[in-house]
Parts: sequence; structure tokens; C-alpha cells
Amino acid sequence: MTAIRMHINGVEVADDVPPRLSLADFLRGRRHLTGTHLGCEHGVCGACTVLIDGEPARSCLMLAVACDGREIETIEGFAGDRVMEVLRRSFHQHHALQCGYCTPGMLITARDVILRGRAGSERGIRDGLAGNICRCTGYTNIVTAIAEAAKEVPDAG
Amino acid sequence: MPDDRFGVGASLLRKEDDRHLYGRGQFVADLQPPGTMEVAFLRSPHAHARIRSISAPPEARGRVFTAADLPRVKPIRVVSHSAGAKSPPWPPLATDKVRYVGEAIAACIAPSRGEAEDLAAAVAVDFEVLQPVIDPVRDMRGSRHPVHEHWGDNLYIEHALEGGDIDAAARAAEVSLTREFRMRRQSGAPLECRGVLAYRDHRLDEIVLYASTQTPHTLRVALAEILDLEERRIRVVAPDVGGGFGPKARLYPEEIVLAALALELDHPVRWIEDRSEHLLTAAHSRDHHYNVTAYADRQGRILGVDAEIVVDGGAYGLWPQGPYHEAGMVARALPGPYMIPNYRARHYTVATNKTPLGPYRGVGRPGACFVIERLVDEVARAVGSEPNEVRALNLVRPQQMPFATIGGLRLDSGDYAASVRLCAELLDLPAVRQRQRRGEPDGRQVGIGFATFAEQTAHGAAEFAARGAAIIPGFESCTARVLTDGSVVLMVGIQSHGQGLETVLSQVAAEELGIDPARISVRHGDTESTAFGFGTFASRSMVMSGGAVARASRILRDKLCRIGAHLLQCDVAAVRCADGVVAGPQGSVSIAEIAKVAHLRMDGLPQGVDPLLDATATYEPAISTGVFSYATHGAVVAVDPETGFIELLDYAVAEDCGTMVNPLLVEGQIRGGVVQGIGTALFEEIPYDEAGQPLVGTLADYLMPGAAEMPAIKIGHLHTPTPHTEYGMKGMGEGGAVAPPAAIANAVRDALSSIGAEVNETPITPRRVLAAIRRARVAAGAVRS
Repeated sequence: MTAIRMHINGVEVADDVPPRLSLADFLRGRRHLTGTHLGCEHGVCGACTVLIDGEPARSCLMLAVACDGREIETIEGFAGDRVMEVLRRSFHQHHALQCGYCTPGMLITARDVILRGRAGSERGIRDGLAGNICRCTGYTNIVTAIAEAAKEVPDAG
Repeated sequence: MPDDRFGVGASLLRKEDDRHLYGRGQFVADLQPPGTMEVAFLRSPHAHARIRSISAPPEARGRVFTAADLPRVKPIRVVSHSAGAKSPPWPPLATDKVRYVGEAIAACIAPSRGEAEDLAAAVAVDFEVLQPVIDPVRDMRGSRHPVHEHWGDNLYIEHALEGGDIDAAARAAEVSLTREFRMRRQSGAPLECRGVLAYRDHRLDEIVLYASTQTPHTLRVALAEILDLEERRIRVVAPDVGGGFGPKARLYPEEIVLAALALELDHPVRWIEDRSEHLLTAAHSRDHHYNVTAYADRQGRILGVDAEIVVDGGAYGLWPQGPYHEAGMVARALPGPYMIPNYRARHYTVATNKTPLGPYRGVGRPGACFVIERLVDEVARAVGSEPNEVRALNLVRPQQMPFATIGGLRLDSGDYAASVRLCAELLDLPAVRQRQRRGEPDGRQVGIGFATFAEQTAHGAAEFAARGAAIIPGFESCTARVLTDGSVVLMVGIQSHGQGLETVLSQVAAEELGIDPARISVRHGDTESTAFGFGTFASRSMVMSGGAVARASRILRDKLCRIGAHLLQCDVAAVRCADGVVAGPQGSVSIAEIAKVAHLRMDGLPQGVDPLLDATATYEPAISTGVFSYATHGAVVAVDPETGFIELLDYAVAEDCGTMVNPLLVEGQIRGGVVQGIGTALFEEIPYDEAGQPLVGTLADYLMPGAAEMPAIKIGHLHTPTPHTEYGMKGMGEGGAVAPPAAIANAVRDALSSIGAEVNETPITPRRVLAAIRRARVAAGAVRS
């Protein structure tokens, strides 16, 4: 067991974890933050995307012990985050989710696409989503939702 | 009158969204009751082998369970009433033999999944490896070691379908074309893999089993039978399900084993499938081989089709329908929406040492559509016409409806040729032809292709009885309940795996009761709270469950009107139920007030009216052979003849699913289906080597469509409500996935027309495109073979 300490959604947590425990399993199993979903557990589908020190990362490929001292943001967080608020509303209005399994990872990636100023074109959005698989929607409505959200927060990029 | 704010026809935003947008959905893997132990399965590494012995280390006692440790578990056995169908027993944990890579042998239990996998790795199995059956065409009549030894051959079932006189058509034909087609094996691959949580509820004396399934009620039927438990002692719950698409509409060994473990152990057990297990063991799909000849006259009128169809069914039959329906559906759907007068189909479903085959969005239809639509284009090429002219020449006309196809399907309504025209408009066919004449500066070649289909949906008793099914999913159910404050709960036997039934079913009740859907809850997926139903598959949910909701709501509406009329002291014929009230000639009374009388103040009830506002209804469409949605899909591609790489430039769907309850959600279903169909067309494949080893195990080698390579998908609607269902709805959940392989293959053929190359195999990978180009050049004498 290894002692770790980190901030998750702004709250400091401390725990003892086996060295082989992934960040995703730590968040889901120990912290009961089950909004972070596992679709492949080998870094392809993107459903488990979280922010680590502000950068999107696959929590299935990250060991919990490697996150000692870092800031983690999961879909349960983002309280007061303007871009995430606009994205959530836009995903709802444009029917950009069906089963909801990819949605947490999609939203966190989409927020990053907007903040990096890549949401101004369909090509930019689609390329930005290359690491997130959705099996239900066919992507069209996700792309529209992100494009429309980006227009609402022109200063965010 | 439809209420366009929220009733039938309104693009109401979804009730389901909020929980998912905040990560508060509840999938099986999110459930962690205290004391839960994790299960990992020891699985067969061999395609075909006898098990000589299984030995677990001594410290694993009580934590490793083989078939011998769970004697109450009986084999899965599918019943089919089709003549000659063979049905092998399938022990949920292998006993003497394993028949595919991934077959479960032992369940291993530990506090974490990692430790459970460590335990599985410590179990030793002594195998006697046998030669596997891999090629269904070569080995259907027999092999050195048949998959099921006592059969002698490897055939689950063979059958022939014949109409008209195919030999006369062959003699009369001026054009005759023979082609081989392949639609390769793939996975349904919902983003959430399967999962099961099971525990004993001692207070209620029952087993509770949470499962990521499309069919909770029939799963209970199967568990009761196989575990010899009364159904009252089993509760099955499908919580949020992260996509299903067919593979989750079948019974699996893991569900049985987890239920059996819960009976044995004093703590909850949970198995959460990982992606590699999913690719290995969740139902595979497609895997069709075709050898087909089309006969036509000089105008392109199709005179007959002669087809041989072989479906690779894998090692066992998945309950309840087994492997039998895939090939039969292909055979019946293959003549498509066309006036083909002569037809012969011989079809064979073959057992191989591969993962069992199951349904996936469209089931046999994508293959049938692929074959007939490729042939339509080849006939057009042979007679020198535009493919859509030949399409229009052969399509069933509106005035011919209802039309019995030579495949035995009864098409009910619609203008098929109009969908072809609309699709061509959406893609601006003349502009694409002009672009083709101009040529591409980068040397790529542009092509456009179309495919038309009619899709049998919401079929009921007549259809499933004709298929020889022992379980006939002919109806759905709804219990509608108005509570004391006038809010409404709909308890439906259907299940939703993400398509939005909580929203659309509340729209139906809103339409009938005049109550805002915001005051209506939909409960589904729980055998405890809902009347029996079959679940979500076969494009049936909206028609069947929506029909049941409409009927139950009308029973309640009539009762609300009777009580309301009494309270208003007027004749019941003079009142109507709308906008949350029952209104009479002088004044109105709210649903909430009526509900209060029906429950809390029964002294206000009229004579002869019982308390409670609670009604259960079932629904089967007026015609149980199915109602037919139809569509034409069109694709524009650019093919690089140097690399074989295909880019999708444009994609359009012109469709008719009758009355749309929620157009926003209908379009969501279409686009999602199309992209799954594009996956079938271009990317997704589970190849096996000669030893029966599947060659994909991760999403790095099993390619799924991503946002970057998908086009925006255009949709145009036609509206022909069917006379046979509530509101004129037709099912449409699967249609999107049916035509993309055909439309894209036709587009690739069009792009490569100057070379003369055609690709008649999915997925159309760059390697297959290059091979087709090379074959065409060899045939033309341009290069040596």
C-alpha cells in the first residue's frame, strides 16, 4: 500500500492504495465518483477522461499513486465552470447524448477543445474528439452542440 | 388533436439527459453494495479442446467455482420449432469440452478484480486440443472433429425458400450476373460492456440480479428455468444501460453463474466485463457468405435472384432465439423492396469453433441489403443505365401496397421511389456527376452510391411463430397509474438502453391524458415494478410499448372523465380531458382533484366507479407480420487508388417511419445507426486464424468509427403513417445501420468504375480496395497476376 494525497474536485483526500490501482478504479471504487466511466481500460475510448492538473487525461492509464499531490477534476466537479455549464446545456438542447456512457469524457474533452480555441470549425471539433468514441449518436449532434456552445463563450478560447 | 408542445410529434428534449450530464447515471458497474466480491472468469485459450482436468491451488478453496461446484446450474438450451433445427446444450461453465476461445470454465472470486484475475491465472487446466471448425462453407457437412460430436455434420439448420420459377427466369434472362459477397464477423460493441451484480435479499427471500441487459423479464424466465427457482424468488433489474444494440438482448452464461453464486454465498458478487472479454465473448454478429446470381432483361428489370447463403453461427445457440433467425431473415429480406417475380434461396447456418453469433442492429438485413443493392447497381452497369433508374424500375409502387414480396414479407405502405429521388436531391447528384467529370487534383476518384431498403419492424406473433420461435415477443405492456396528487407513473415492460424511452413514452401518455410530460415518470427495466414485457430489440419499442402506454392511458382517461363529469354534475359525453383538467360545459376540475377523490375521498366517486386510477394494458399492432419503414441511403466517397484509402465526403438518408413521436430523437436514432453501419462498411472486423484464435482483442485493433472520419449526416423525411399501429408509427431503431455497407460499396464501385473494380466484402478496408483494383487490372490485361 502506498499513501497518497490529492485534491479531487477541490477537496483534499488521503488514502492508502495498492500500487497497481488505476486512477479510474480509485475514483470509482474508493471515492464513489462513478461518473468517470470505463469503456476499454486501454486508453482508446476516452470515456474515463478527467482533468489532471487542468489537462485532460485517461484515468484508466494513470496509476493512482502517480497522482500524488495533483489536482483531479471529474465530471462530478466543474461547479461554477462557465464553459462546462454552457456545454451541458448545449448537449441537452442538441440531443448530443443517448445512453450517456461516453458523455462525461466527451464533455471534459469538449471543454478542452473550446479552451484551446479549436471549436471554431467542424474540422477542429471533429479532430479534437478523435480520442473519444461514442457508439450511439453518430457524432453529428455532439459536433453541433460543441460548436454552438463555443459561440456562447467567445472569450473562452 | 396532437398537442404540439409536448405530445405526439413534439421534439421534446430528453428527461434522461440531466443525470448523465452530471455523471449521476447509474450503470451496473456503479453499484457497489457493501461486501461485494469481484468475479473474474477463467476462459478457454483454445478454440476446440477436451478438458482432461481442472486444478486450483489449495488456497483457492471456496473461491474458484467450476461446473462441478455448481450442480444446480443446468445447460442453456434453445428450443426451436423449425424442422430439422439442431440445438446443442451449452453448459454455462464448460464441463468436458470447450468450443470457442473465451468460453467460461471457472468463476474466480476475490475482493478486487485484479486479485480475481490473479486467482484465475493460478488455476491449471489440462486440455487435449482438437482441430477446430473454422470455415463454415468448407465444413458444414462434416469435419474431422465436428463442433458437436454426435451431430456428424456442423449444421444448425438448412432451409430453402422458393417462389415463382427461377429456372424459367434463368432461361428468359438477357443479363445474368453472379457474385460472391462477404459480410465479415464483428462486434456490437456498446460503449458500456456487459456486467452483472447479484445478491440475496433475505428479507424478501429472493435473488436480486442487476444486469446490463435489454431484456430483464425474459432474463428472469431463463434464470428461473435453468436454476430451478420460482420466478417470484428472482428480481432482475436493468439500471442505466450504456447501449445494447442487440448483443445485450440474449442470455449469457455469466448471468446464470452470478445468480448461482449469489445462492451459494453470503455476500454480493459482481462481474464487470472488460473490453477484451467483450470482443471475445459477447455475441458476435454478421458473418455471412453469399453466392448469388441475378437475372434481368435488357431494360434492367430483375427477373429472378438465386441465392446461397451461409451464416457462421459460432459454437452455441444464444437463448432465446438461437442462431436460426439470422439466415432466415437474410433469405426473406434479400429480394428487398422490389417486384422480383422469381426467387430461390438456400440457406445454411453452420456451427463453428467461434464465439456464438447473435443479433446486432439490423440482424440479417444489412447483409441482405448489401447483396441486393450491389446487384441492382451491377445490373444497371450491365444494361448501361444509371443505378437509380434501375432501382426505380424495380421498386414496388405505392398503388401496389400492400405488396407481398417474393421473400414472403408483406410491405404495408409508402412511396419507395420518392425516397430515392429525395436522397439524390440531398446529395445533389448532378453536382457530384459534374465533379466526377472534372476529376480531382489529388488523383483520388470520387463516387456516389445509393441503397434502398424496407425494414420489417415491430413484428408480432405471426412473424415469430413463422420463424419457429419458442418464445414469441408479440406484445408489450404498460401499467399507468395516476397518484393522489395527479402526477403519473408509467410502468413499462420494455427496457431502454439509451434511446430515450423515458421521454417518448411520457409524450404518448401526455397526448392521451393532456398532462405535461414533466409530471410523468417512466419506470422500466425492473421485474419488481413492471408487468411482463419482452424488452427492446427488433425496432419494436416505440410501436409496441408506445401502443401499450396509449391504451393504458386511455383507460385512465375514461375513468378520469367519468369521475370528473360526476364532480361537475354533467354528462360524461360532455367532458374532455386536456391541459391537466377535465372540462365540462360549465367549469372544469383538475386531474389532481379527481385523483384525490379516487384515492383519499372516495365519497366523491360516482355510483359504480371503483377507487384507484391504475390500469394495465398490453398492445400488439393490428398486423403482426410487421410494419415497414423504408429509406434510401446515399454516400459520396473519394477513393485513393494508390493507397486504397476511402474518405466519406457526404452521406444522406431519405426515410419514412410514418408518424414520428419525437423527430429529434428519430433523427438521433438514424444518425447513430448510420455510423454503426459505416463501421460495418469500412472498419469493424473480428478475423480468426486457422487455429480459431480471434485476432483482435482491444479497440486498438478493433476499429470503431470516430468523430474525425465521419461526415455530418443529412436527413430528409417522407411521411406515410401506417394504418396498423397507434398514431401510424413504424419502428425505426435499426434502419440507420442497414444500408451503409450497400450504399458505400456502391459508391466505391462508382468511384472505381474506370478501373472496373468492385469490392463485395465488408469491411471495405484499404487492403481490400487495393486487391480489388489489382484483380480488375489483371482481368483487363493491364498487369500480370
